[in-house]
Amino acid sequence: MDALAEHAIDAAVAAGAGYADARAVRRRAQHVATKNGDVDSVSDSETEGIGVRVLVDGAWGFAGDPRLTGEGARDAALRAVSFARASASRARRRVDLASVAVASGEFAPAVARDPIEVPLEEKIALCLRADQGMRRPEVKITEATVRAMREERVFRSSEGARLRQRFVECGGGIDALAVSDDGRVQNRSYPSAHGGSSGQAGWEHVEGLGLEGEAERVGEEAAALLEADPCPAGVTTIVVDAEQMLLQVHESVGHPTELDRVYGTEAAYAGTSFLRPEDLGSLRYGSEHMNVTADPTTPLGLGTFGWDDEGSPARRQPVVEEGILTGYLASRETSRLIGRELAGSMRADGWSRMPLVRMSNLHLEPGAGTLEDLLADVDRGLYLCTNKSWSIDDKRLNFQFGTQVAWEIRKGKLGRMLRDPTYTGVTPEFWGRLDGVAGAEEWRLHGLTNCGKGQPGQHAHVSHGTAPARFRDVQVGVRQ
Amino acid sequence: MTQALDLAGRALRATEGDEADASVHVESSGLARFADSAVHQPTLIRDASVTLRVVRDGRVGSATTNRTGDEGLEAAARRAAAAAESSPVDPGFPGLQPPAPVPEVEGYDEATAGQTPEELAESAAAAIAAAGDVGLYGYYTSAVTELAVASSTGHAVSQAMTDASVLALAASDDASGYAEATSWRAGDLDPGAVAREAAEKAARTRDAAALEPGTYRAVLEPYAISELLFYFGFTSLNALAFLEGRSYLSGRLGERLFDESFTLSDDGLDSRGYPKAFDLEGAPKQRVALVEQGVARDVVWDRRTARQAGDGRESTGHGLGPPAQGFGPIPFNLSLAGGDARSVAELAERVGDGIHVTRLHYLGVVDPREGIITGMTRDGTFRIEGGRVTEPLVNLRFTTSFPALAAGLLGLTEEVTLVNRSDFYDERYPYGTLVPAVATDAFTIVGTGSGPGL
Repeated sequence: MDALAEHAIDAAVAAGAGYADARAVRRRAQHVATKNGDVDSVSDSETEGIGVRVLVDGAWGFAGDPRLTGEGARDAALRAVSFARASASRARRRVDLASVAVASGEFAPAVARDPIEVPLEEKIALCLRADQGMRRPEVKITEATVRAMREERVFRSSEGARLRQRFVECGGGIDALAVSDDGRVQNRSYPSAHGGSSGQAGWEHVEGLGLEGEAERVGEEAAALLEADPCPAGVTTIVVDAEQMLLQVHESVGHPTELDRVYGTEAAYAGTSFLRPEDLGSLRYGSEHMNVTADPTTPLGLGTFGWDDEGSPARRQPVVEEGILTGYLASRETSRLIGRELAGSMRADGWSRMPLVRMSNLHLEPGAGTLEDLLADVDRGLYLCTNKSWSIDDKRLNFQFGTQVAWEIRKGKLGRMLRDPTYTGVTPEFWGRLDGVAGAEEWRLHGLTNCGKGQPGQHAHVSHGTAPARFRDVQVGVRQ
Repeated sequence: MTQALDLAGRALRATEGDEADASVHVESSGLARFADSAVHQPTLIRDASVTLRVVRDGRVGSATTNRTGDEGLEAAARRAAAAAESSPVDPGFPGLQPPAPVPEVEGYDEATAGQTPEELAESAAAAIAAAGDVGLYGYYTSAVTELAVASSTGHAVSQAMTDASVLALAASDDASGYAEATSWRAGDLDPGAVAREAAEKAARTRDAAALEPGTYRAVLEPYAISELLFYFGFTSLNALAFLEGRSYLSGRLGERLFDESFTLSDDGLDSRGYPKAFDLEGAPKQRVALVEQGVARDVVWDRRTARQAGDGRESTGHGLGPPAQGFGPIPFNLSLAGGDARSVAELAERVGDGIHVTRLHYLGVVDPREGIITGMTRDGTFRIEGGRVTEPLVNLRFTTSFPALAAGLLGLTEEVTLVNRSDFYDERYPYGTLVPAVATDAFTIVGTGSGPGL
């Protein structure tokens, strides 16, 4: 793959590219799903190809080709150049890139047991045991999934970068759906909703999730929700569990701090941001308890890399410090626009997509104390757990989240279970009401694989480290 | 014979006599994405992938590859067989699609298939130029896609499809307007007209006012109703959700659930949409009457759910195939019948006082069983007063019951529009909804967001 990437760069430059980079990628992925005690699907997929990105007269072009051959590499390069040239004649401004040290090296995560090499029989057996553990009469649907992925990625640029990276991911999750005789439906999931949680690690990560051990609780809680009272509407104190906090961070901090959104590049689809370039260093994003960090060096993180997809080295970067916006997620192009040296966070979904500014690992830094400590200072409120639904506006201001379950908090203690909880807010006002984050002992890393962005659409795999957090005066119980 | 069918046949031969099927997807696409009136992410993609499903004594496994030489196909066949050998018997497996004729459909246009990068850039430039001084964001895209399914049962089908879309968001710091158009014939599209529609709408959105939460009468343009309908269809018109009790229609077939003007089908054979001859399992596409004059009639089915229902049902041609079949069958060709309103303006007259919604953003299904959906309006939300569209409004958060919205229809336009629903994730598969603009007496606003604009 190294030689092919080099060949593509040579072809692009010879055809007139002022800058070119090439990513040759080979990806293998497995997915096992069981449902109600039977295997729902067992799949084993692979894809490979080369993506070539060029600048011609200051305009971008990109082409992807599935052939990892000299002909495929050359065709991708020439097609990228032709599209860039066609676009350049109509460009209004020239793209310039911030400089980056020309890098050479290799990256691979520490893996004890390659998850792709774990026999499918073992994966199926684990799912079936977890599936079985959730079953009870009220639970009509039980599902368990595990996934594994391994990717080899070679990067070359016309500036001389020579990078070889290996990524290994695996994860899993369980879901129980309870249905009452009169048609009410409730669900519980573990360790996260919407496909479980993944990490960049060996199979030992999946074994450590404890899917079987949590199955009975998940099934019981799904059944109990059928009889729970609905979450009342009102303004109250909420404590949000670490799993829901990952989505809160993702949607209301991660996406708005993507600098391409700030500059409008995503306006037509994912949206823009309420932030402006000049807000950096001065905008109050939240209370003094709010500290958010982008860190592509986090062990086990799905966004952990040696270099991003335009060759910028992994670097930890604060995004919000004591409530003040101090960083953006950036590319070489947007770093140049804002005139600041920001850590690179460009990532592409496989070989056939152009890199975009994406989250890598974005964490809410831990505060102090335990979940019990957070609860202890709540006279009346709600403890909200596990995402169920989400929506946020195009500037990332107005959001509404639903969680699978809530527990009433009365005088510092958890009380009755409540169903169908929702809460809503406006991003900086909501984060301004943050008055406590639990400490490092409650901090958990979650990995999600369904972050969508771009046209054509791209999925990103990102991780978030979060701990339970407490917010005062939040509107809850929003429902039609 | 298409390239896809030839590849499916070669892949099937690699399984060496197993009970198996091969589904093939071949794509050549281009997308000229623009922002701030300049093309900035032009992307060209070529790919061909094969999914082999092998069945051994009732055990099923699948493998996908885009290595389409003999060695790649043989390796995929071995991996699919290993997956099957690893699995216990799947008691719900309905078997492979037996030989069956598939309908002849339109949906392929030679001129669209042959569009060059230069033509893509020219179409993007035409849209940008037509927007005038306001910044334009969006894309022009076209593609040719081939699908094929070949099975050891002897079933072998293929289809070539084209698609083209232009999407335009005209926006400045304090104004934004939206328009789009899509067709399997690029020649049907006028990128300049789409951009002008977006720009003209944007010009009317400055100085937007807030709105108190409450349930309002509303006009929903095709872009808005299309998205609501697709989310409702994904969660409620899907036989798997129906059988599992998660669908709004579970236990309610035959009941009058919606206004009598609400007649909904899934029609993959309609040449006004994105026609399909078969689904991703190779099952022939059928038109399915989902709601007739407000009465819930049916959902869409794949082979597995049809078998699960156990009442003689057959697939309606809405299966996803391995490995995505866990989502259940999906209505990719929803078609809402038009009504008797001659224009969107007439719908506003029927509303009297209410709101006008151009487009929605980031929908989430709050309660699939009750059909409750949340999201935001954007890029053209207005107040309706005295039957006329008046002042612009800020973006509004709605959390609304789709069934209540469809039960409270005040009218639908005669004209229906094809609205693209693909965001082009993963493999290209063009689909969209055929919808009129609608007016309803039940659209619930629960909060306000930011104003229009970037």
